[in-house]
Amino acid sequence: MSNQSTNAMVELIKVSKTYHPNIQALKDVSISIRSGEMVFITGRSGAGKTTLLKLLCKMELPTRGLVEIDGSDIRKVRGRNLSYLRQQIGVAYQDFKLLTDRTVAQNISIAMEVSYRKPQVIKKRVKTLLEELDLTDKHSSMTGDLSRGEQQRVAIARAVANSPKLILVDEPTGNLDATTTGRVMDMLIGLNDSGATVLIATHDHTIYRDVDHRLLELRGGQMHQLRDGVMQ
Amino acid sequence: MSFVFAVLRQVFRNFRQTWLSQLMTLLTVSLSVFIFAFFYLVYLNMLNIGDKLGYDLRLIVYLEEEPIPELQEQLRRKILAFDEVEEIHFVSRAEAFERFKTQLGEDQDVLEDMPEDFLPPSIEVVPLKNLRSLNQVKLFSEYLSKLPGTIKVQYGQDWIERFYYFTRLVSIIVVLSAGLLILTSVFMVSYKIRLTIIGRKEELELLKLVGATHSYISTPFLVEGILQGLLGATLGLTSLFGLFYWIKMKFSGPGILNIFEFSFFGPPTIVMIAIVSILLCLTGSYSSMRKYLRT
Ligand SMILES: Nc1ncnc2c1ncn2[C@@H]1O[C@H](COP(=O)(O)OP(=O)(O)OP(=O)(O)O)[C@@H](O)[C@H]1O
Ligand SMILES: [Mg+2]
Repeated sequence: MSNQSTNAMVELIKVSKTYHPNIQALKDVSISIRSGEMVFITGRSGAGKTTLLKLLCKMELPTRGLVEIDGSDIRKVRGRNLSYLRQQIGVAYQDFKLLTDRTVAQNISIAMEVSYRKPQVIKKRVKTLLEELDLTDKHSSMTGDLSRGEQQRVAIARAVANSPKLILVDEPTGNLDATTTGRVMDMLIGLNDSGATVLIATHDHTIYRDVDHRLLELRGGQMHQLRDGVMQ
Repeated sequence: MSFVFAVLRQVFRNFRQTWLSQLMTLLTVSLSVFIFAFFYLVYLNMLNIGDKLGYDLRLIVYLEEEPIPELQEQLRRKILAFDEVEEIHFVSRAEAFERFKTQLGEDQDVLEDMPEDFLPPSIEVVPLKNLRSLNQVKLFSEYLSKLPGTIKVQYGQDWIERFYYFTRLVSIIVVLSAGLLILTSVFMVSYKIRLTIIGRKEELELLKLVGATHSYISTPFLVEGILQGLLGATLGLTSLFGLFYWIKMKFSGPGILNIFEFSFFGPPTIVMIAIVSILLCLTGSYSSMRKYLRT
């Protein structure tokens, strides 16, 4: 077996997260996600999916246990190194976190600007992404004026814009019709094919029903594997 | 894309979003630079004038009669007992008459009928040229007038004394307005940047999440502080120079202000004021930024 394909991008060992005052969102979760893998995480509302994703980009710290991204303990990554790590992680948040008084193009550019991409490169990338997600005519609209489904796609576009090694997507298709869902999934699968590790938290069984990637389920904060992925 | 470009772009965006409050801050900084520089300029010019006055300052002790050499020696010792002096010079009746004659110049024929000894003999005492001896010139003159055989003591009138009192007052105002400059620059800039931070919390939080380094987030604000300081100093000093120039033009020609040469700050002082103003504004924005990034 090739050593490279077994490199863990995400490593969680006995991770628990308790929110104040005493809400146990995650209990002894241990998973290992190989570099280049695509994984679906499902579970009922409140099962801890968002919490899990937040631990991976250090938006929250684990109460117990070890969280490693690409070999480094998330607790020990600080300051400049944390910034560089986050530049490698693209996150589409469940609540989008869009700047509603900025245009679609400006929102998508932010992550690329932060890692000092050239303006021409940013412009081109934004154009491509908008085409892929069927948002071309919204280029200069304020994101605050968009529909939920459009905002959702802008959030996804921003997450993947900077070609991150690790893509975390929280409920990507909640507000989308079947066709648009198809477009979004095609894009994510395409990025996975070109090497990105992709984690998708979702309730939507239609998006993982017809693919053969690994499927995990969180139940009351505990992790269960429903289906073993087939590595290409 | 380079760091410098990213910073300038963000400075430009900040300016577009908050230009009104930035303008207010700039005007406040300019005004306090102006007030401080105004009093400082007044103070420097007064010191300058004081130097000139001090240079001419001498006490003239009129005596009842011409002292014999031995008495001269005694008087000299008595004078030196009060304080060290620059020079002591005994002027005899004849010398006083001669001097008066040369002072009159072409009009000296009015002296023709006067006896050569109508002027009293005197001692000219030139105090040391420093501020201390100027400040105690009154005490000195009282001391001299009590020496035996003196008629009266004359010196550059008591307005010299008032002048020095006034100089000290101005120096206090300079210190106070320097305090004003410090307070307004640091607090206005830091307050303004804190407001901006609160107003853009969402964006700054997002920047952290997508991996913006601390310097990416904070440098634009620091540059903004530097610009506020630089432009504030420029604006303040330029308007002061305008005022200075106007006063100079207005009062040129014969008049009492014309006795003295007024001068503006030299280049080193201008640079110093600008640097101090920049540092103060930088301190203001740095303190706000640090408070934000720490949390
Ligand atoms: N900041 C917080 N403070 C306190 N409790 C929290 C916080 N964030 C999440 N929780 C709780 O932790 C549990 C897991 O929340 P989480 O958001 O991870 O669920 P989820 O699986 O993403 O749900 P959904 O599918 O509705 O998005 C929930 O009970 C939630 O109420
Ligand atoms: Mg969630």
